Amino acid sequence: MRVAVTGTPGTGKTTATDLLASRLDDDDALPDLEVIHLNEVLDREGLYTEIDADRDSKVADLDALADWLDGRDDAVIDSHLAHHFAADRVVVLRCRPDVLEERLRDRGESGAKARENAESEALDVILAEAVEEHGLESVYEIDTTDRDPETVADELAAVVAGDREPSAGTVDFVGYLE
Amino acid sequence: MSQDDEKWGIAHVHASFNNTVMTVTDLTGAETIAKSSGGTAVKQNRDEASPYAAMQMAESVAEEVKAAGITGLHVRVRGPGGNLQKSPGPGAQATIRALARSGIEIGRIEDVTPIPHDGSRAPKGKGGY
Ligand SMILES: Nc1ncnc2c1ncn2[C@@H]1O[C@H](COP(=O)(O)OP(=O)(O)O)[C@@H](O)[C@H]1O
Ligand SMILES: [Mg+2]
Repeated sequence: MRVAVTGTPGTGKTTATDLLASRLDDDDALPDLEVIHLNEVLDREGLYTEIDADRDSKVADLDALADWLDGRDDAVIDSHLAHHFAADRVVVLRCRPDVLEERLRDRGESGAKARENAESEALDVILAEAVEEHGLESVYEIDTTDRDPETVADELAAVVAGDREPSAGTVDFVGYLE
Repeated sequence: MSQDDEKWGIAHVHASFNNTVMTVTDLTGAETIAKSSGGTAVKQNRDEASPYAAMQMAESVAEEVKAAGITGLHVRVRGPGGNLQKSPGPGAQATIRALARSGIEIGRIEDVTPIPHDGSRAPKGKGGY
């Protein structure tokens, strides 16, 4: 089974999937899935086509990444691009835009980067893409705003175990624009 | 209508997965002429509800805009609901059609959807719009 864990940068994907990884190792009730942090793969293997200088960001080579992922079917993929690849279940982590902006600034990102991501989150950009590419029946939305990383990891484990129903459109952040 | 009678504004449409809101400003963006309260979709029936709610929202904003003497609007769309090729949340298209039907002239339509990014981002046209 392949589980995509996507969501706007700052929603806590890497933190939560790191916690999930040790549970997948320890808990016999959970399937044996490998956690792949896709940005590490993109950097290490050079799977990008150019640099977006304005955003200080590498433009992903989605075909090359799909090829690299091919055959890695028992995996949890951590990336805000994860929903662009084949997956059985797609988890979309969410976070209230003002809180997200603060998390990104605290992580040391520039103001421009924090703001554009917060605006993307307010407009549901990644959720909408995930639903468009995978359908409502495969998408699991988790609001991380008031959940600590351990609780988010619990929710991820529940999706992996099949103990959670699909959900989308459970939050409305459009009021946080401007 | 002569050139002198024309007065243009900008409609800022924010179209998310299940909501569409619109603010109309003057051409500088400084003065707000009208503001919608939002076209929230009925969540269980998003595909039908979203364009309908957006349309109703646009119709009421259009009345305020015309009362302020605005005859034409340029449209700046933000959000996946605003993407005119592929439209997961079809609110933006419904908004623009409703404005046009109410007799407001539609000028330039620009898509200014933000791009999620960390060390990487999607290419244009694939999420990256
Ligand atoms: N559930 C959470 N609650 C509060 N802060 C969090 C949570 N998850 C992550 N963070 C913090 O937010 C920042 C972004 O988390 P990270 O896991 O790097 O997000 P992503 O991988 O989605 O970009 C980090 O500084 C992290 O410590
Ligand atoms: Mg990360």
